[in-house]
Amino acid sequence: MLSIQNLTHTYPNGVQALKNVTLDIPKGMFGLLGPNGAGKSSLMRTIATLQQPTAGSITFDDIDVLADPDSIRRTLGYLPQDFGVYPRGSAYELLDHLAILKGITNHKERKEVVEGLLVQTNLFDARKKKLSTYSGGMRQRFGIAQALIGGPRLIIVDEPTAGLDPEERNRFHNLLAEIGEEVVVILSTHIVDDVADLCPNMAILAAGQIIKKGTPTELVDEIKGQVWKKVIERDQLDTYKENHNVISSHLTMGRTVIFVNADANPGDGFEASEPTLEDVYFSAIADSRNGSGAADAAA
Amino acid sequence: MMLQIAAQELRYMLKSPQTVVSFAIFFLLTFFAMISPNVQIGGGGNVDVNSPFAITMTLLTLNVFAVFVIPAFMANAILKDFDSKFDGILFSTPVSKPDYLFGRFIGAFAAMSIALAGAPLGMLIGTFWPNVDPETLSPTNLGHYIYVYGALVIPASFILSAIMYAIAIKTRSLMYTYIAAMGLLILYIVTLNLLNGPEYRELNAFLDPFAFTTFTEMTRYWTAVERNTLLLPYEGYLLTNRLIWLGVTVALGALSYIMFSFRAAAKMPKEKKNPMKAVHELLASQVAVGNKGTPIWGSSTTFAQFWLRTRFEVKSVFTSLPFLIIVKFSFFLTITALIDRNVGYGLDAYPVTRLMIDAIRGGFGLALVVLLIFYSADIIWRERVAKFNEIIDALPTPNWVYVVSKLAALGLVLLSVLVLGIVTSVTIQVLSGYDALEISLYLHRGLVHTLLPFLLVAVLSAFVQVLSNNRFVGMMIMVLYLISTLVLQALGFEHPLYRFASDIDTPMSDMNGSGRFIEGDYWLIGYWAFVSGLLLMLTYMLWSRGTLQPLKFRLRNLRAFAQPLSGAAAAVLLMGAIGTGGFIYYNTNVLNEYVTIDDLEELQVAYEKKYRQYADLPMPRTTDIKVDVDIYPYRRRIEVRSNQVLENKTDEAISTVHMVFPPQADVVDVTLEGATRATFDERFNYHIFELNTPMQPGETRALDYETLIQQQGFSHERNSVTLVRNGTFVNNSEFAPYIGFWPGGMMADRNTRREYGLEPLPRTPKLEDASQYGNNYIRQDSDFVTFETTVSTVEGQTVVAPGYLERDWVEDGRHYFQYSMDAPILNFYSYLSAEYQVIREEWNDLLIEVFHHAPHTYNTGRMIQAVKDSISYFNTAFSPYQHKQLRILEFPAYRRFAQAFPNTVPYSEGIGFIANVSGEGAIDMPYYVTAHEVAHQWWAHQVMAANTQGGTMLVETLAQYGALLVMEKTYGKDQIRKFLKFELDRYLVGRATDPEGELPLYRVENQQYIHYRKGSVIMYALKDYLGEDVVNRALRRLIDLRAFQGKPYAISTDFIAFLKEEAPAHTGLIEDFFEKITLFNVTAAGSTVQQLADGTYKVTIDAEVAKLYADAEGNETAADFDIPVDIGVFSKNPEDEDFGAEHVLYLNKHMITEDGSIELIVDEAPTHVGVDPYNKLIDRNSNDNLRAVDTVELMAEAGSATGQ
Repeated sequence: MLSIQNLTHTYPNGVQALKNVTLDIPKGMFGLLGPNGAGKSSLMRTIATLQQPTAGSITFDDIDVLADPDSIRRTLGYLPQDFGVYPRGSAYELLDHLAILKGITNHKERKEVVEGLLVQTNLFDARKKKLSTYSGGMRQRFGIAQALIGGPRLIIVDEPTAGLDPEERNRFHNLLAEIGEEVVVILSTHIVDDVADLCPNMAILAAGQIIKKGTPTELVDEIKGQVWKKVIERDQLDTYKENHNVISSHLTMGRTVIFVNADANPGDGFEASEPTLEDVYFSAIADSRNGSGAADAAA
Repeated sequence: MMLQIAAQELRYMLKSPQTVVSFAIFFLLTFFAMISPNVQIGGGGNVDVNSPFAITMTLLTLNVFAVFVIPAFMANAILKDFDSKFDGILFSTPVSKPDYLFGRFIGAFAAMSIALAGAPLGMLIGTFWPNVDPETLSPTNLGHYIYVYGALVIPASFILSAIMYAIAIKTRSLMYTYIAAMGLLILYIVTLNLLNGPEYRELNAFLDPFAFTTFTEMTRYWTAVERNTLLLPYEGYLLTNRLIWLGVTVALGALSYIMFSFRAAAKMPKEKKNPMKAVHELLASQVAVGNKGTPIWGSSTTFAQFWLRTRFEVKSVFTSLPFLIIVKFSFFLTITALIDRNVGYGLDAYPVTRLMIDAIRGGFGLALVVLLIFYSADIIWRERVAKFNEIIDALPTPNWVYVVSKLAALGLVLLSVLVLGIVTSVTIQVLSGYDALEISLYLHRGLVHTLLPFLLVAVLSAFVQVLSNNRFVGMMIMVLYLISTLVLQALGFEHPLYRFASDIDTPMSDMNGSGRFIEGDYWLIGYWAFVSGLLLMLTYMLWSRGTLQPLKFRLRNLRAFAQPLSGAAAAVLLMGAIGTGGFIYYNTNVLNEYVTIDDLEELQVAYEKKYRQYADLPMPRTTDIKVDVDIYPYRRRIEVRSNQVLENKTDEAISTVHMVFPPQADVVDVTLEGATRATFDERFNYHIFELNTPMQPGETRALDYETLIQQQGFSHERNSVTLVRNGTFVNNSEFAPYIGFWPGGMMADRNTRREYGLEPLPRTPKLEDASQYGNNYIRQDSDFVTFETTVSTVEGQTVVAPGYLERDWVEDGRHYFQYSMDAPILNFYSYLSAEYQVIREEWNDLLIEVFHHAPHTYNTGRMIQAVKDSISYFNTAFSPYQHKQLRILEFPAYRRFAQAFPNTVPYSEGIGFIANVSGEGAIDMPYYVTAHEVAHQWWAHQVMAANTQGGTMLVETLAQYGALLVMEKTYGKDQIRKFLKFELDRYLVGRATDPEGELPLYRVENQQYIHYRKGSVIMYALKDYLGEDVVNRALRRLIDLRAFQGKPYAISTDFIAFLKEEAPAHTGLIEDFFEKITLFNVTAAGSTVQQLADGTYKVTIDAEVAKLYADAEGNETAADFDIPVDIGVFSKNPEDEDFGAEHVLYLNKHMITEDGSIELIVDEAPTHVGVDPYNKLIDRNSNDNLRAVDTVELMAEAGSATGQ
């Protein structure tokens, strides 16, 4: 479906946002996981025709996205990471406006589409309120409503759940889940649970490079038996970091739990831990950091 | 603490954009004003461009515009805490209210003062720019800049800042503070416009918060010397004004302090329960979910999108506050411009449509430019500013829909502003009872022709915005573009093909409409429209979608040109641009010569270098003229065939004859009897004939020539306004030769001459130069001549020339008119051809005719009356009128003057024909102008002046005298007083700005403020002191001595000698009036009134008098006050409207003694006394001549109080 080949982008100031990214994205929900600053938004923008890459190619079915942006736009739904709205105008008015721009010119059909989406996103009773008065969750739902206009076959949602409370996040997940399996949905996020909850396929992006891809299950299986955990005192953390490959640490009831990656039990009170997608993510990130750190050292 | 807060605020503000940008703007404005030769604020003439006067003028002018900047500082200082919601933290700290309030103010004001310092700095640095003429510079004096900045600019900004700060504190809104600033400015400008009469000057001077009118009032009559050396002192108006405003400021400060509270509750958005929830749920349950719509792609969709976006953008602009502010602001400006159609002497013109359109263009022009620059940026960056761009940009809508809809919206916004102007204008016309509405003219010149250039600039602005990828950079580039439109031409880059959205002057006239001028202009609009079309395509191809990317990335998008549709469109546009550009080039450079101002100057210099050597050769003079002229107004052609007789009036034999034909006339043939043309210099149209046998003194020769004027196409500049379709007005200097070296071909301006290393040319030969007594000042190659002419024009037009119509006939579709003249005339004749209506009146064997444009009948009756009154008075006062006919001929408003030819007066439609004289006590300008021109039939056409200093005194001053006498007879002394007030004011202003310095009246060198304005005042006072009979007797003697003769012509001292002979007692006064630059200063310094026992009143007046002699630059020396002066006692203020003769209790001339005290007895109780109460003398302070009576001691009290 969507095929990304050797995509590289260097900003004018020299920052390399994407390094030789190659990805094949099938139908259904695809999770793109990565920390802040990994290049997720650059990749999303490039696919959404908002940015020209330095090199590489993107095709969707038989559309060359970079050469023929207008064709891809006709079948694209895009929810940017952070968007504002015009200071005036209600949700209904703006959706109606966007529907015309998306080619829904029949008045009757447009009314049906807009009202349907407002109901679907549970914004119907707030449809006449000014968008500028919407809460963050309402605004994200409005964002997905506008992305769905015209039934796009490629939907890109960039960090949609950042800053939402759990209830709103849940509601948003349900919305995404409804979109269907016949279209490509790329969900970029730094929240592992988003991907774990929704995506049959995923990739992890760090420092502009794809460091892992596959299905979540496959990826978790890959590190089975390699994750060990231990409860330690907080001031011991640095010592453990020196001696072990610590992939993550967090606090539980005031005490620190560390997870390390090792082929065999490191002993010293470590016990086996059933790996989760979060462990996959952290170990991948940790690997990539070490790798680049080593490269830097070598240079 | 307060100072710490202030310092912190200052540091903060110095880093913020408003300080940097304001500083840059102020700096650049004054810098460019200084280095640009066609911007002059305060300087000019003998006043140096960096004189204290020019510095003050520039900085105070700019200070008015600083109002736009002040809110940015003042509101920001106090509002940023609220806006950033930092107030909660800040106000809980122990900072005290005065520390906070005043500290912030001081810091912000200090930052603003630094921004304002850009203005004097820009000016100062500008003076060191190499292209500023060093002759126009005074030595740099930093003190002047510092004084003006510190003592005038800063106090005024302080006052306004305090006002703005108070408003910001009260409203807590930047927008409202801006609106208040705008409101203040509107109020200020409207007040100045409404109260612009001389009677309000004092009030304005006291109350102007900017002290701008205070400055203009205090320096109104300053001479060049004073302007170059004096700073505005803190006294009089200025001191009072500043004290008043200091009070206001302190009061406002106190008020702000009281109003401000740290505890003011922040507004919380109210949470509302939705009472309609159930209804919504019900409605929602009925909505079918799931249909995501089926997009339809095609041109109808694209059009629907375009229309949607256009409406959306228009609505966004219409509902934005700055738009409303700008429009309201210019609406006021326009209304004032529409109402104030001043044509001189306090008269307004009738609201003819072309004047209204000019007012709309003037009033809204600035608004359109501001809207354009501001909103082209605003519209283009709208999505990015709203952070909505990523959604919009990922939509399947083509780039061009966004770009073109944004520009279309801008166009609609500008259009709506113009429509508003037109509706207002039509309303004013209807309300003032003017019913000849010309809607089509409004639509054409007011709407289409005004709007199109702005659309072109809008495209440029959009292109620049897209190219620069930065809103402020784009706006700055557009500001640079605007400045370039002002200075490029002055720098010698005149060609319209490379000046974006260039135009050709398209003046309007009621008679001739827009004429042919507009055709060339439309070609230019067409050309720039094609260029803009290409820019538009580039704009939408380079349009940044999504992330802003550098230009080199976006250039890849230009491959869209390879697509057939875009490629074809681009090709069409390019061909269009090349085609129209080529046609324009063909017109400006092939059909016409492309001559820039610099080229013209070089031509003049070359002419002078080559031929001035022949200036003193003896030449024969024209004595008889027979000329046939065929005018083809529609074919833009004039054919001239003439037989002239030349006579050797010198006392030596002449062997070569030079003649210069006008540059625009093709010489088809020229033969001089018994001579061969030895040289023909085509560049200067200069011909030299060698005579086969020399011409002996008294001998005559025939000169026959044929010339042709054929205009082609259009030029980039200086298109002819004389040969037009309806209202052709040409005179002989356009087609007939000048015999000998023509001095008018030399460059006259002394500054330009200096640039070319030429000595200054004397404006006029010295009064003592007897060699010029045999030359008249109009042209030196002929004296009085005989004249007859046959002239033809197209059928349907009438053509008029000096002389009497012998017969007229129609032949081959052309109308012929044969005119002959019964008396000798000066070699100065004209032809006017137009579709005329004629008003004809026979009166005492005299035929009076007014040839006018059909609708312009408003004042023709006044003109005819003026002719009758003038001729009947001059016939007895001066001498009999030499002709039996007088005709007034209207010509198009492209030129604004009236001119007296023998028995013919061409009279511009722009001055008398449309003046509205109906107001109570209004000065009848059409009457005055007509009387003046009729008087020229004596003072020019009977007595002509020699080509020396003082020449125009005998022509223009005496014509003014004639007009004044006739006006006084018809309208009375009061109207003359009103008239002379204007004249005195214009004289005093004129002398301050004369580039070459003032001269006494009898040495006037064609200086209008002297021979017209001072002349009027002097002649009226002369008549008052000497008596009308005495003055007229001297004038009759002058006529007897010099009428109709050229050997010698009259000189000013001829007249002065007769005056002195007729009034020997007034020799000193005559010398003061004519031979010196004399200024009087008389003041009614005090008065007491005492009722006497017999019921009469004893009046004691304390008169202060002084007399000063000034030199050319205005340096003054005191002299004895040795002339009698009017002393008046009145029972009503003579300035009052209903003041009449019955209120004059006493009016007589007195010599003023050393102590200045005068005692009089009058019968009635006086209210006012006056020393020269009617302002007959030239007095720079004419407001202190009248005085209300100070103390009145009534009989009863007087007895008890003084014991008498």
